[in-house]
This record gives sequence, C-alpha cells and structure tokens, in this order.
Amino acid sequence: MQTLDSSKPIAIKALDQSVVARLKRIPTAYFAFWVIAAICLVALLSWMGFSLCPYSYDQTSTDFLAGPSSQHLMGTDELGRDLLSRIVYGARLSIAIGLTTAAVAFGIGTLYGAISGYFGGKVDTLLMRGVDIAYSLPDLLVMILIGVLLGRGTLGILIALGLVSWMGTARLVRAQFLQLKNEEFIEAARAQGQSGLNIVFKHLLPNAMGPIIVALTFTVPSAILSESTLSFIGLGLSPPACSWGTLASDGWRSLRAHPHLIFFPSLFIFMTVLSFNFLGDGLRDALDPRTRLGKKV
Amino acid sequence: MTKSSDAKSDDRYLIWRLAKGLGQGFLALLVLVSILSLMACTKVRSRFEPGVLRVNLGTEPPGLDWHTATDSTSFDVVSNLMVGLTQYTNDLTCAPSCAKTWEVLDDGKRYIFHLRDDLRWTDGKPVTAYDFEYAWKRLLNPTTAAQYAFFLYDVVNARDYNIGKLKNADLLGIKALDSLTFEVRLSKPAAYFIYLTAFCVSFPMRKDVVERFGDRWTEPANLVTNGPFKLKHWQHEYKMELSANPQYFDGPPKVKLVKMFMVPEASTAFALYENDELDFIDNRSFSTPDVERFRSSPEYQNYPLLRANYLAFNVSKKPFTDPLVRKAIAMAIDRSIFPRILRRGERPATSWIPPALPGYSPDSGLKFDPVQARALLAQAGYPGGKGFPKAELLYPNRDDVRLTVEATQDELKRNLGIDIELVNQEWKVYLATVRKDAPPMFRNSWGADYPDPETFMNLFTKDCGNNDTKWWSPKYDQLIQSAEGELNTKKRADLYRQADVMLCREAVPIVPTFLATQNIMVKPWVKGIAINPLDLQFFKAVEVGGP
Amino acid sequence: MIALILKRILLAIPVLLVVASLTFVLVRIVPGGPFDADKNLPPEIIANLNAKYHLDKPVPEQYFLYLGRLAQGDLGVSYKYVNRTVNDILSDAFPVSLQLGTISLSLAVFIGVPLGAIAAVCRGRKEDVIAMFLSTLGISVPGFVIGATLIFVFAIELRALPVGLWESPWHVVLPAVTLAFSPAAYLARLTRASVLEIVEKDWVRTARSKGLSQWSTVTKHILRNSLIPVVTVLGPLTAIVITGSFVVEYIYAIPGMGRFFITAVMNRDYDLILGTTLVFAVLLIVANTFVDVAYQILDPRMRIED
Repeated sequence: MQTLDSSKPIAIKALDQSVVARLKRIPTAYFAFWVIAAICLVALLSWMGFSLCPYSYDQTSTDFLAGPSSQHLMGTDELGRDLLSRIVYGARLSIAIGLTTAAVAFGIGTLYGAISGYFGGKVDTLLMRGVDIAYSLPDLLVMILIGVLLGRGTLGILIALGLVSWMGTARLVRAQFLQLKNEEFIEAARAQGQSGLNIVFKHLLPNAMGPIIVALTFTVPSAILSESTLSFIGLGLSPPACSWGTLASDGWRSLRAHPHLIFFPSLFIFMTVLSFNFLGDGLRDALDPRTRLGKKV
Repeated sequence: MTKSSDAKSDDRYLIWRLAKGLGQGFLALLVLVSILSLMACTKVRSRFEPGVLRVNLGTEPPGLDWHTATDSTSFDVVSNLMVGLTQYTNDLTCAPSCAKTWEVLDDGKRYIFHLRDDLRWTDGKPVTAYDFEYAWKRLLNPTTAAQYAFFLYDVVNARDYNIGKLKNADLLGIKALDSLTFEVRLSKPAAYFIYLTAFCVSFPMRKDVVERFGDRWTEPANLVTNGPFKLKHWQHEYKMELSANPQYFDGPPKVKLVKMFMVPEASTAFALYENDELDFIDNRSFSTPDVERFRSSPEYQNYPLLRANYLAFNVSKKPFTDPLVRKAIAMAIDRSIFPRILRRGERPATSWIPPALPGYSPDSGLKFDPVQARALLAQAGYPGGKGFPKAELLYPNRDDVRLTVEATQDELKRNLGIDIELVNQEWKVYLATVRKDAPPMFRNSWGADYPDPETFMNLFTKDCGNNDTKWWSPKYDQLIQSAEGELNTKKRADLYRQADVMLCREAVPIVPTFLATQNIMVKPWVKGIAINPLDLQFFKAVEVGGP
Repeated sequence: MIALILKRILLAIPVLLVVASLTFVLVRIVPGGPFDADKNLPPEIIANLNAKYHLDKPVPEQYFLYLGRLAQGDLGVSYKYVNRTVNDILSDAFPVSLQLGTISLSLAVFIGVPLGAIAAVCRGRKEDVIAMFLSTLGISVPGFVIGATLIFVFAIELRALPVGLWESPWHVVLPAVTLAFSPAAYLARLTRASVLEIVEKDWVRTARSKGLSQWSTVTKHILRNSLIPVVTVLGPLTAIVITGSFVVEYIYAIPGMGRFFITAVMNRDYDLILGTTLVFAVLLIVANTFVDVAYQILDPRMRIED
C-alpha cells in the first residue's frame, strides 16, 4: 500500500500549483497557447470592427480567381474578393464554434459520462441507452429542425453543433470512470471518508484527463468543418459572410485549377487544430499530478 | 527510484518494439499491395471499347416508369429505351415516329394518328394503338398518381378524370379506333399539343406487362420497350447498361452497349473522363473550375439550352409592390457578370422568351442602365437607396446559384446603393417556403418541357401552380389564352411577344438573368453525339470506333 | 457476460422503439414534404400521391401502421426511388459499405494504434512530432480534400489506381484510405494519451515490484488497460464507418449506404430515413454491447451491470 501514500500528497500539491506556471515549462504548449491567443485576438478585433486587412471581406473586383500576389497575398475568389480578408473574417465564427463545441462537449459530455461511470449499474445502463438514442438520431434532421426553431444566426449554429458533439466524450469519460473507480487509490480515498464530489473532481477526473483532452481537440476541427454542412442546409451563414468551413467546402473543387482557394483555408484550420493539440497535450501534463515536467523520459 | 525508472524505460522499449513491429508489418503489406497494384495497372489498358459508349448519368433515375418519372435523369434513360407517336429532330421539330402520319381536324381539336405497321416491342409483340390508349388512360388515372398527368389536361375530360370527379375512363377523349389508328380529342385547340406526343410521358405502355409485374415492371428482367435500346442491367445507385435493340424499326443503333454510370460528384466524373473511363460528359460532369481548364480543348463544345434563370419578386411584399422599384432592379443588374463568374458560356437575358422561340424580341425586356435605374428608384421614393428596407433574397443552396446571387447582391449595392440579405435554404425547404409564402425576392430557374413559348409564358398566368410571384393580370392571361388557341403561327408569335413585353418591361414581376448552356466533352473516338436545346440525349446515332 | 448480452438484446427493443418514434416525429415536423418538386403539382395530384403512400391518414394512424409493418421486418417503401422498398435499397447498399468500412477500419486500427504507441514511447522526440503532424492533418483536413488529392496524385498523375467507381478490388484502395484517415488519426492520438497515462500509473510500478516478467507487465497491464479508451471509441466508430460515409461514397461514386443518410433527408423520403436510422441504431447497439463485453475481458474488475 505504499503507492497510496505517495500518490495522495502529489495530487493535492499539483492542484495548488498554477496551471499556467506549469504550462510555461512546456515550450510547445506555451507557443501553441500564444498562437491560439493570436488567432482569437484577430477574430475578436475583426468582430469589433477593426479593419485588419487592406480589403473588406465582401469587396468584389474584376480580378477573378487571381493567384497569390503582392496585392492579394492569398489570391482572390470567383467574385474577385481577397481571400486573406475572407479568412480573417471567417476566423470569428470558426473560432467561436471551435471553443463553444469543445466547451459543450466538455461540460455536458463529462458531466453525463461522470454520472454514468461513477454510479454504474442501473443508472449507467439507462444513461448509456440515452447516448445510443442520441447518437442514432439523424444529425442532419436535428440540425434542420433547430434551424427552423431558432432561425438563422450564430446562436442556432452553436446550439446545433453543440448538441451533436457531446456523446463521444460522455462515453469516454464513463469508460475511464468505470475503470478507475476500482483502483486502489480511489478505494483508499473512499475509505478515508472523502465525499463523492471530492473523489470525482480530485481523483477520478484528473486521472481521466488524457483521453478527454484528445476527444476535445478532435471535436474542434470536426465542428469547424460541420459548420459548412449547416450553411448547406440553410442554417449557417448567409453570404457574403463566410467561415473557414464554408471557404473550404466552396473551394475544394478548385484543387487543381485554383489550389489557393482550398490550400489557405485548410492551412488555417490545420494550424489551429495543431495548436489545440499541442496545448491540449501540455494542459494534460500541467493538470496531471504525476507527470514530472521538464524531464524527457 | 532508479530501479523503477529503469524498469519503466524497459516497458517503454517493449511497447515501442511491439508497436513498431505491428506498424512495420502493416507498412510492408501496404508496399506489397501497392507494388502489385502498379504491376496490375502497367499492362496496356485500351482507351476505349469499340461499340461501347460510357456516359455519366450523375444520379440514379428515381424510376423508369415514364408515367411517374419527373426528372431529367429518368427521361434521359427512357428517351433511349422508348419512342412515342412523334420524335424530336435535332432542330426540335416533331418528326414521324410510331405514327407515320397524323391529321389535325375540327380546328385543332381532334388529332388522328396513323401508326406504322412494322413496330415491335422487345418481346416481339406488335406496338398497337391500344398500347397508346392504355398508356394515356393510365397516366390520367388518379391511382397512378402521375405528377405529369397535367400534360394531358387539354384532352376532353382529362382533368375531371384525374382529380376523381369523373370515374368513367371511356369518357376521356382518348380512343384507339383500330390497332393502327389512335384518336385524341381536345377540349380546346392547343398549338403546342403535337410536342407533347414526343415527350416521355406520352409513350405507349404494355398493359399485360404492367399488370403482371406490378411495381416491379421496370426491372431489367420485366421491362418491355420499343425504342433503339433495351435495358440489360441495372445496378441501383451505380450503373445501367442499355444494349442495342435489333428489332428497332429504324434499324439497330450503331453502338452495341451504352454504360450509364451514376457519378454524383462532377469533379470525379471529370477525372474519370480524363482517365479514359468515360467517353462523353456533359454539365453534370463539370465542376466550374474544370470547364475553364478545358475550354481550349478540341474535345470541348458548348450548346445553348432552353433553361432560363430569373430573379422573381413577391409583388405583395413591400417595397416590391411598386413597379418602379422592380424596374429599377431589373435595370441595375449587369447581366454580363453571370458568364464571367459561371464561366460556362451562359447567355445574358433580358426577356423571358429565349431567342430560339417564336415571340422573342431583343427589345422585350429592360436593358442594363444604372443611371435610369437610380432615377427610377429615386422616383419611387428611395433616392440613392436611402430608406430602402433590407429585403431578403431566397435561394436554394448550390455552388453556382450562390455565386449568381452573390453577384446580384453586389450589383445592386454598387448600382443602386441598396443592401439585400441573401438567405439560403436547403432545396426542399426552399420549395416549401416559396410555395407557402414567398419572400420579397427569390431566385429560380425554368427548363422548357417542349420547344414552345407556352412552356415559359404559362408560368405567370393566374392559375399556374408555379406562379409564386403573386402577380397576375387579366390582360396577360387573356393574351396567353388567345395564343394557346391561335393556329396562325405569326399571329401567335405576336401575342406571345406582347405578353413578354408586359412581363419584362411593364409589370416586371420577374427579372430574367441568363440562359444556361450545355457544356460537353467528347473523346475523339466517339462520333455522332448531338445536343438539342431541350437537353434530351439520344444515343441511337452514336458510333464508338477508331480515333 | 452472457447475461449482459441477453440483457442488452432485451433492452435494444425499447431503445429502437424510441429511436424509431423520435425519428418518425422529427421527419414529420421538419418543413418540406416528399412531393415538393421544382415543378409545382396540382393539389389533386399531390392528394393522389399522398393517398398512394397513406400520407393522407392522420399522423397517429400512420405511426401505428408503420410500427405494424416494422414488427414484420418491413421498412416501407421509398417515395423518391419509385417502386423500390427500403429493404431492397438497404440490402443492395449495405454490403458495399460493410466491405469498404471493414477494410478502412482495420487500416485505421493497424495504423493508428501503433502510431500512437510509438509516439507515446518516443514522447517529445521527432517520432512523436511527426505522429502529431500526421494525425492533425488527418483530423483537420476535410474528407473531400483528402479524396480529391488522392485521386489527383494516384489516379490522374501516377495512373496507378482507378479514379472511382466500384468494379475491381483495386477500386477499394483509394476510398478505403480516404475513409481511414480521420479514425486513424483519432485512434493514434487516443492511444498515445492513454499509453502515457497508464505507463505512469502506480499500479504498473506495483506490478513490477511484484516481480512479474517484463513481457507480461507490458501485455497484461499496460496494453490491456490503455486499450480501454481505444475500444470505447471503436464502438460508435464501427457503426459509423461500416454504415458508410457520405463524403467518400459520393466522391468515389460508390453504391453504398452512406449516401442515403444525407440524400434521404434531403428528399424527405420518410421511410428511407427511418430505415437508415434504424440500421445504424442496431449496429450501434451491437457495437456498444461488444465494447462493454470487451471492457470486462480487458479489465475484469469493471462491472457494467449490477
């Protein structure tokens, strides 16, 4: 039982430390944090009306489908609009989608999965059948319905995407909990008379963080991309507004004729997701009491 | 501590070895497979199969029953399997087909068709006037639930029978006088009637086959047809194979097999064409960027179509209740933008009747004139676009449609200073919205069913179910009705021209924007592909041979 | 374990009933009907069509009619594909998706899991970074872009593989790879995270201190336990992948079932929507049952039911 003695103090100490301070010691994660912060800042500034580019996102020209040049760094689209300006404009919705769906998936998914896994038995059986049902309903139909109920607009988009994104996380958290709750250190904590909430938040959750963070970083790009499906069914943005998702789905047929139309939007999605991955990885380490930071093993 | 950490790195090493082993094994397998595949592909592949034509249908035909079919894909297949009383030539006149001659009697209210006596179905039985009588009555029978039944509503009692008000089919103006004579009586003269006899829904049908196989009579094993090809094989959602019909009265077609694939994605179909896996492709197989890349290829051709795109107003909604506003918008859109962004050779249009049809005049519609447009808008009370409400423009979501409405939005902003809001809806929702309560503006298109102005002009009469503009005028309806019954072609064309002027210059419930075109690419080893403006594709004259 | 499976089979019936009922209601409250077309139909003809498919009856009656047919295994008829039953359509399309999906899934597992394990072991080194880039590429690049790129490189430029269609075994390669990209990436990331998690767990050290041989430590504890999250996502993933992907089937012109998930909704083809949904639900339930069984094999202490 020596393991139990060593694990408890570390866990408590870990939570006392500032997560940011620990994050600083992981260079990739720290860098990724700043990349995301920069993208968020750009999105926020353009949302507040600062013009960050020489062109407006809906300003047309007769320069149809021009490739990248000094005038248009990332080229222009079919109506002669500057692609860079459109990507900057598109960041606001795509980033908002990425962050909210990740938050919803984390909030609802983790809570749901935690309850299911912690209690187990009949509760678990019932809740998991609920997940099966939610998974089985046709996403597209659910989204069309939300579009009809809420009308178009950012709120509808966020709700629709949030609603279909939490089930995977719930199942992952539940599986982690089912497994972890049999571990010795949990039984020990229970024997010490710690409350259920305490056990869940101080012991179970930190230990299940790895897969959860992966699931969340996976939610971000898939939500950014599914938003273009929403535009397709009429719940999304109304042109000339755009997002990274709509830019990518409008541009992919030009892969051979005008590759810049698909390359740049994809590049931005890729960079954002990569940063989320590095950050998620670092966060996991920062949150995990057992990881010895700064050392390569 | 040291010991434990050593042990841990040992664990890591083992996991690493295990994973690496698995991964390497798998990679080796992949490499092996790719080498095999390269070997398989290096064998010289012939670029075409003589006598076999490979085309792309785009999507699965929803059904081959030519009474319940409604879409161009089904009609593309049926037009190669079946022939009717008459048949289109490439310049869209009606030529004799099953009927060798016909008489028009009683001032255009009675038609008598005389059938050829050498017609055979694919099972060897003769094609008779009774097959036509059965087919036309089945089309109108309410239990068939045929969407195109209204095509025959000019026939005596047809409407009443179709809506169930009249139960007795014998009272219809449809009768086989003997096995080779078919009589049709109309309730009023209809100048365009003969065109309907070349259209798929009026083709003959075999009563015994339909009744014997029920819902499955169109499956390859059961289907009996009378055209140049017969249905050999149908793998749903994938491909159809039509083989030459040796008994076809006009001589068997020149290719022995037509493979019709259903490749939904245009850029894939185009890649298949480039890789010599398809011999002929049309609009369905071009994504816009591809059209541009191959415009200079000798394999590329462009044909006009009778398919018009337009911007419609709901004239019951402000500010479009005012004709001045509608005229201002019609004059503020520079139609030459559409071919530049769509890049398929679209022809800008200002009149509703397309150039190829009687009644067309280049001066029927309002031309692009931004100065005059601003003046009209000011006159309507919105100088410089000030005070103009943000009106909605609804459109169904498709790449090309999105580009056209975005361009329209931009034109109106630039030339009139007004902002409109684009609203896209998924196709079915769009249709439901436009029908129920059309928004102030919506984008629509109309493809001709037959080569006559009637198919376009009838759309904006009061009783037409497709008139979603809420606009109508007794004078317009009167003009159309007179034109329908007018048998003198010159007078008839003039009536349609007057109606067109009313529609596009005076009342302006719609703004015609452009006419679509058909873009095709044909491999050098294929001869005899002909495209007509109705976009019906006939493969009976096609040859696939040496380049 | 047998009890668990039996219990799940019994539970599947109410679950499927709820799925069917909710979907039934959903399709009917969403605007647009199966017979809306670009050429407007006279109301009389719409009435004829509705009568033919019993859509003129009150909705509750339609519901019970549907359940009655469902109980006999009849999924109804398609409105769009005239004269074809939903059973016909699905029995043609499902085997194609199943074939493609099985190949993709094994690709994803055999590439993703080792890649993730290697990344975990080589944490912070170049293998890890490469794995990170690859898997980020896999999840952030849309399927249609991956498909179009593969077609361009392998079919058009190299002429090594067919562009699309479903004719020979070679036609499976590109679609299977395209379909495997995203699950492989996900599995790699997940494996990496859980292997890292487990390696640092105390009981692994305990197990070592108990003197178990290295090999059995690795296989029995580390791999077995780190597979829990992988197995968890494999449940829904299997159901999703073998019922076909719209994007992949659409791009490569494959006659599979994935296309119907979207097109049936677009066409408001009520029975076909319900049919595809139910097939998916059945597979999901089966897959998730297997997942729960697998938990107990991997870690016998995990109790799923009381």
